[in-house]
Amino acid sequence: MKHTQLSVCLTLFVSMFVFLWAGSAFAEKPIVIGAPLSTAYLYGWDAERGMKLAIDEINAAGGVNVNGKKRLFKIEVIDTRDLEPGVPVSEALMALERLILSKKADFILGGPNRSEAALAALSLLSKYKKVSIVTSGVLTPKYHKTIAANYDKFKYGFRIHGEAVNLIGEIIANFADLKEKYGLTKVFIMAQDVSHARGAAKVMGKVAGSKGFEITGTEIFPTGTTDFSMALLKAKATGTQIINIWMDMPESAILLKQWYDLKIPALPFGSTLAAAEQPGFWKATKGKGEYTLCNVVNAGNAPSDATEWTMKFYNAYAKKWGVEPEGLGSSSSYMAVYVLKDAIERAGTLNSDKVVTALEQTDMMGVYGRLRFDPKSHQVIVAKDPKDGAVGSILQWQDGKRVVVYPKSIAKGEILLPPWMNK
Amino acid sequence: MEILVYGTINSVSLALMGLGFAMVYGISRVPNFAHGALYVICGFVTWTLFQKLGLPYFIAIILSLGVNGVLGMLMYRFVLIRVRGMNISEIIASYAIGLIILEGLRFGGFRGMTYTLPVFMEGSLMIGGVPVDYHRIVMTIIGILLVAGLWLFTHHTRIGLALQGMAQDERAALMLGIDSDFMAMLAMGFGAVLAGVAATLIMPLGNIVVESGYHVLIMSIAVCIVGGLGSWMGAFFAAFIIGFAQILTVVYIGSHFQMVVAILAIILTLILKPSGLFGQQKELEERV
Repeated sequence: MKHTQLSVCLTLFVSMFVFLWAGSAFAEKPIVIGAPLSTAYLYGWDAERGMKLAIDEINAAGGVNVNGKKRLFKIEVIDTRDLEPGVPVSEALMALERLILSKKADFILGGPNRSEAALAALSLLSKYKKVSIVTSGVLTPKYHKTIAANYDKFKYGFRIHGEAVNLIGEIIANFADLKEKYGLTKVFIMAQDVSHARGAAKVMGKVAGSKGFEITGTEIFPTGTTDFSMALLKAKATGTQIINIWMDMPESAILLKQWYDLKIPALPFGSTLAAAEQPGFWKATKGKGEYTLCNVVNAGNAPSDATEWTMKFYNAYAKKWGVEPEGLGSSSSYMAVYVLKDAIERAGTLNSDKVVTALEQTDMMGVYGRLRFDPKSHQVIVAKDPKDGAVGSILQWQDGKRVVVYPKSIAKGEILLPPWMNK
Repeated sequence: MEILVYGTINSVSLALMGLGFAMVYGISRVPNFAHGALYVICGFVTWTLFQKLGLPYFIAIILSLGVNGVLGMLMYRFVLIRVRGMNISEIIASYAIGLIILEGLRFGGFRGMTYTLPVFMEGSLMIGGVPVDYHRIVMTIIGILLVAGLWLFTHHTRIGLALQGMAQDERAALMLGIDSDFMAMLAMGFGAVLAGVAATLIMPLGNIVVESGYHVLIMSIAVCIVGGLGSWMGAFFAAFIIGFAQILTVVYIGSHFQMVVAILAIILTLILKPSGLFGQQKELEERV
């Protein structure tokens, strides 16, 4: 009897090992997504959260079908620190290289977040033939222009969100509305001393000027500036009616508080205004940020009904992370994973060149509209209507809520002026 | 008028940032490169006590200043005392502590732009036609009172005189029975409290972010080098020079160059008068 029991135990024990061995031998290797992100910053962690949400959903549904075999996604996040002041671009490149060489990333999604770093990363992606989709930060038009100018070398880079020129177009459209509705024509530009913001400020000045707006001043602030009073007083002295802000540094919250405290009679209209994008902005400023407008690049980063998927994503993000989508990289990072899944499944392989071709043929309805890439520049095609392309989203803080005011096709409200601006 | 009003506010704000650093160095000759980290941690401790534990704001501030003081003393007692007198080691050790604190806070989830402290008084008033919010006025007044209080403390109290004795000549102070290590520890505590005072006065104007620790450290060093390492009154005057220079730069050249002013001030001082305006550190070498 004892002998039989021992035999049964041994058989079970051996069987368990056989099953475990067989399981590990036959389970498909996961597809590793490398995410180089500046994780201490909003545009880093919102992207990380967006991607992780999508990966959880995809894995829960069985994973990615690669030529008939189901493979799961696995994410490897690395902190590039590129959004931190004073951190050289080389840090981000080293981090990216570590993802490729040490973590064996099959694809790169997310960043680097800073335009300068992302531009420098293109050569590295080309060297290792790694397909990358930037999803957060990286607003410089140079990114897709560089890809288009040297397609054969840089074809591995894609961008799934709008860029600075799109953002300027959207903001100018709103300025035109403000001019027509309230007679606001004087614009003061404040920008952070970083590539995309400096570039955007320059273009903004030219475009706004050509559209009949008077540029009352342009100020470029070093990253980490903590006092904006003199610039605000300059804006006030010049009769400014709109303050156009291009800053992603946390200190932009100080600017908005000072704007309120000094009761500057000009509407703050920001882009990449990270402080005002976060749902906690209202509480953090005790409502002083009311009337602040900011461009959150894509729909889904603020509540709207752009597509059927928008609020599903919005609510899933809020449920998983205990906070609503926080920054401009939330919905685009989420969608990048789905777009990659779709491309891999169509390509039937992880081969970079074949996935590039598949990505170029992408045409799917996502959280912020129809997603397609320009086949030459690999820039996502933007539109004002979600049926035609990726739509942007401009929100205004109104009574403690982030109200989408642009584009009209998805707007939930209209732009309001602070009481001290009403004549 | 704008230049005068905001120049003064900016200068007092810089003085607040730099006073603690100057005091610690003046007394113990320890360049406390964790000064910025102490500034940030005080903000987060106040935030936690006030927002999370629901303590009254004033009590939260007092408690967090106490925590900062103890932290400063512990830093000296357990780490810096072992490398005292070795300048490079002091810098490396204190900077390492600062990095541990700042990056530890970031790692612990204190990131983002939603950590804020309330201002002491809401609203604004016009000074000579220039709008200024009440909190900045309160901050400026407290800053000036603090400097006056520090002067009285170091000139008219027993501990203050002992600290001054240490600053003037540590060996002589030792011979007079002053425990130099205890005084240096006390100086670190005072320096940490001053960093905390700066934090609780300046942070309500914006938000509590880890990055401000690095900014505060750079500005403190600038103020202390220009004022003269070891002289906290020198640091106070240097804050006014840099503060007004920054505001004038913003008005007549552009905001872009305001950080350059601080760095340029460091470089010019080191070239023209390495001891700074009131410093004694290298005076002998300069004479030679």
